[in-house]
Amino acid sequence: MDGDRLVETFVELADTLVDDFDVIDFLHMLVDRCVELLDVDAAGLLLADQQGRLRLIASSDEQTRLLELFQLQNDDGPSLDAFATGTRVGHPDLSDAGERWPRFTAAATEAGFAAVDAVPMRLRSEVIGALNLFRNRSGELDATALRTATALVDVATIGLLQQRSIHHHQVLTEQLQAALTSRVIVEQAKGLIAERLGIDMDTAFAALRGYARGHNLKLSRVAHDVITGDVDTSEFLGAPGRTKPLRS
Amino acid sequence: MAGYTPSRLAQVSRWIAEKATELGVPVSVDALCHTAVVRLGVSGAVLTLDTSGWPEIRCATDAVGERLVESQVTVGEGPAVDVWRGGGPVLVADLDAPSSQARWPMFAPLAVETGAAALFALPLCVGAIRAGVLSLHRLDVGHLDAATLTDSLAFAELALRLLLDEQAGLDAVGVVEDGLPLHSPHVHQATGMVAAQLGLDMADAFAHLRARAFAEQVPLSGLAADVVGRRRRFDRDGRRP
Repeated sequence: MDGDRLVETFVELADTLVDDFDVIDFLHMLVDRCVELLDVDAAGLLLADQQGRLRLIASSDEQTRLLELFQLQNDDGPSLDAFATGTRVGHPDLSDAGERWPRFTAAATEAGFAAVDAVPMRLRSEVIGALNLFRNRSGELDATALRTATALVDVATIGLLQQRSIHHHQVLTEQLQAALTSRVIVEQAKGLIAERLGIDMDTAFAALRGYARGHNLKLSRVAHDVITGDVDTSEFLGAPGRTKPLRS
Repeated sequence: MAGYTPSRLAQVSRWIAEKATELGVPVSVDALCHTAVVRLGVSGAVLTLDTSGWPEIRCATDAVGERLVESQVTVGEGPAVDVWRGGGPVLVADLDAPSSQARWPMFAPLAVETGAAALFALPLCVGAIRAGVLSLHRLDVGHLDAATLTDSLAFAELALRLLLDEQAGLDAVGVVEDGLPLHSPHVHQATGMVAAQLGLDMADAFAHLRARAFAEQVPLSGLAADVVGRRRRFDRDGRRP
């Protein structure tokens, strides 16, 4: 693992927390760094809403198939188990996980994944979600990678709760609900961009994010402005990211 | 963790149905507000809509609640206004606290004058679709405890569903638990696509999508997946592909 890059990541995470805090941007950075640093192929962060349903907030890859893989873990899967038990859950070889998580294993295998891990987001007795890591090759997650993943998740959890006040459930509720709403706004904006530019959802997300970064704006802000028409979708043409037109 | 139980939505839904029966009225946002007062131990509940750019009262269980909304409209600031502009709930345990007075220098003193001490404003929204705000107030200072807060969010989610059913012209559906897949990324992506296809805003595009699913007797999630997969388009002249 690249030690300098790891230090840089923690510095970056800390900066985000001190600065004008945006949950969506913060968690997207976190899942991207997980893929970069931990030798995993995909990562997603799920938070439990007040009804106890796990909801995806950030994913390293916005392909529909992967998003579905997070979504269906409300029925079975490592993220649900990590959330429910508050402990790390791993399965190094999905070829024999069919009994443990029937629906999840079938979908994950079909998506090309061979191993999976989930780390709970926990502060003392409270579990607020889970980080879900996917790998294309089977095998145990390296011990250093696991320790790093746990440290990253802990930073994210404290970042979300922001302060360890006795009223942290109020803070968490405000943050979480705002994050869930932002995530939905991003999905709506992705649909709008994908349709207008004739591109797929993954490319639409890359364009949205490229624009936000290029203009030093929050992702949720740009998504909102796209929907209100304050940012013209034509500005996303030629934005960073792959351009894969679906229609001519 | 405390209060994180999947059955709360169903429980709160039952409370509202019972209250509606007791009052001899259909399940509605009015019945919902009255149920919230009884079950959440708050002094009053107000549901506001925003059709003019400012909160408009749809139903209020008491005069204090009405005055709290009117004050916010008059001075142009306050928790319900912030909820409308931002994304998350605004939970104010003490309207007279320095932090509240600093955040809303005009509204907070007026709020205290009404006799209210705590105000909890919850957004009723689906991403960019802002249907309304549910405001709960108490005459005593204090936070909502974790369980009450969870239930208040369940009330807000059910209020949202009632308002969305009205917007989609599906009044008859009533409060149905999980009858509406609000947590599926497909549904929100499809809403964005339909908004672009028909030149509608998100609220109208969502209502259109729901009404179509209802008319065709297909699950909304399935229709949304077809839209995202580009197997289905909506055309402005109403023709089907």
